[in-house]
Amino acid sequence: MLTPLKKFYPPPAWRPAVIVLSGVMTGLGLLILYISNAFSYLSDQPETCMNCHVMTPQYATWQRSSHREVATCNDCHVPQDNFFNKYLFKAQDGMRHATIFTMRWEPQVIEIKEAGKKAVQDNCIRCHVDLIERVWSDDMTYLNRHYKSGRPCWDCHRETPHGRVNSLASTPYARVPRLSPVVPSMIEKLTRNAK
Amino acid sequence: MKSIIEIIQQKPWMGWILFLATVAAVFLIGLFASSIIERRGEERALFQILKPIADWEPRNEVWGENFPREYETYTSTLDTTFRSKHGGSATIDVLEHYPNLVVLWAGYAFSRDFKQARGHYYAVADIRHTLRTGVPQPGTCWSCKSTDVPRVMNEKGPANFYKSKWEDLGSEIVNNIGCQDCHDNKTMNLRLSRPALIEAFERRGLDIKKATHQEMRSLVCAQCHVEYYFKGDGKYLTFPWDQGMTVDEVERYYDQVGHTDFVHKLSRARILKAQHPDYEIFRTGIHAQRGLSCADCHMPYRSEGGVKFTNHKIQSPLANIANSCAVCHRENEDDLLRNVYERQDKIIEIRSLVEENLVKAHIEAKTAWDHGATEKEMEPILTLIRHAQWRWDYAAASHGGSFHAPLETQRIIGTALQRVQEARIQLAAVLIRHNATVPVKMPDLSTKEKAQAYIGLDMKKLNDEKQRFIKTVVPDWDKKAKERESKMSALTTGNK
Repeated sequence: MLTPLKKFYPPPAWRPAVIVLSGVMTGLGLLILYISNAFSYLSDQPETCMNCHVMTPQYATWQRSSHREVATCNDCHVPQDNFFNKYLFKAQDGMRHATIFTMRWEPQVIEIKEAGKKAVQDNCIRCHVDLIERVWSDDMTYLNRHYKSGRPCWDCHRETPHGRVNSLASTPYARVPRLSPVVPSMIEKLTRNAK
Repeated sequence: MKSIIEIIQQKPWMGWILFLATVAAVFLIGLFASSIIERRGEERALFQILKPIADWEPRNEVWGENFPREYETYTSTLDTTFRSKHGGSATIDVLEHYPNLVVLWAGYAFSRDFKQARGHYYAVADIRHTLRTGVPQPGTCWSCKSTDVPRVMNEKGPANFYKSKWEDLGSEIVNNIGCQDCHDNKTMNLRLSRPALIEAFERRGLDIKKATHQEMRSLVCAQCHVEYYFKGDGKYLTFPWDQGMTVDEVERYYDQVGHTDFVHKLSRARILKAQHPDYEIFRTGIHAQRGLSCADCHMPYRSEGGVKFTNHKIQSPLANIANSCAVCHRENEDDLLRNVYERQDKIIEIRSLVEENLVKAHIEAKTAWDHGATEKEMEPILTLIRHAQWRWDYAAASHGGSFHAPLETQRIIGTALQRVQEARIQLAAVLIRHNATVPVKMPDLSTKEKAQAYIGLDMKKLNDEKQRFIKTVVPDWDKKAKERESKMSALTTGNK
């Protein structure tokens, strides 16, 4: 089964060096998974979004809104129509966010993109369908957005749930979940004692 | 195909390419890793206290230099203009509104003076001015009034703090309830600064350190806004929660430990004075059951310019319905207000019935004693009066109880009514047995003054004494406090 790989096998004399080198690469990869809390992205925990501190205003305002009790970040911001869509969207969005954050391209005021708008609008309707049944029209439900005439819910419900101000500096001192230090507390204690 | 080793043997530059590609890959992965770590580290830099705050710093204005918005809204608890149907932020003389209460507390300092407290910024002024501190009180009374309390408790230890005389701590306790009562001075995280709540949790085998942030947004309030008593000769501040936190469980606890706040001057019943079981009653209501905390309604988010922050003007949500109730409820303000008043009115209706009956029970009991009733005859009656008044007080003293948990409050008031009626039925039998005239003639209690005269209080003397105290003792306290604080420096003690 491994025959095609065989051509990459190093000669016996090189093997120990290659094993060590592949170990270094794998270790670096694992380190990145660890420091970026990579596995948390599989969950629906709102704290996951706080892996990046630029999300503080969004978390803090959600946490003080009525939606806190009924909806997490993913409930609104990720498609919930099927499992594959959800994780595909998460993967795409996640890669974009990770790139922007790593390259420090984030703007002072973060604004939602088209794909995100569609997901949010669909999710508004998903829970609140009973509220819009009577006023249903393509204009009201954002379906006409491609013709520049559709309206999303938040054109009117502007404060729901994050309020209107979304600059990165809009919630100074907000008490939000913080990441624990990368270095395990055991080691930190040792280094502190050494000082 | 050839193996790599063969390729490299034939073209040695391929080896160099492989080497350099690996170097580049490791270099880039390393850069990526350090970028992640740097960005994680930024989070700590986001929060900076520009003027470090010393441990146990009591002066709110020193904290306020770092957090002007929070401080500014906190100082606006000075505003006393808000008035709702049954409460508000101004002083309300409760005895004047409900003269019956004077009789219910005959033999206890509450019959002299009971006013609805103003905002946190008035805590020290209000306790200095109340006639209740005219009787000798322990240091325990200061426990909830000031940010100086954690500082002095740290110096003396809680037990010695409670044991002190109230007057002896007067010059130490001058800063009003404020920042360090709820916040850590280094991280600004919510923290508990008073031992009683932590001890109460420990005795029940609960670990308060495991409380979530949302729970802490109520627990910092529950350090004070709860039912408590001063245990034993050491007057050790204790929460009576060992058997549970409902009115019945606390009643059983008090009966078992044999606690009595005062013996009633007229009926000789061993009365329990309820404090303000705000947190306990709130917990039984629908808003708590749906996961809300005190801060959600009493300290809602506020927008100012481009910034959102927690409004530290802690007040009745009725003064700010748009930012408290309307976050969840879409009804208009008038409807919401009406819903609250409806609950309050209905509970006050039954509460007033209990008050009238309790007054009658005390006076009838006195008449029974006067006509030669025996201890044995009176004992079950006095226990009923004790329980009735405890339950009435538990509901009456709980701030916002009729809104926090109308059902539970109505239940408590209902059981109070049943117990006082039962007491009066038994009293009627005793009175008839001792040939007293039934019904017993009731005195005129239509005003606070008449009620206070009836229970034999010399109000002029008490008021004069208080005035003398305010004019002579208090300035001396303030002078000493000023001297002490002039020696404190936020910066020198903060950078240890």
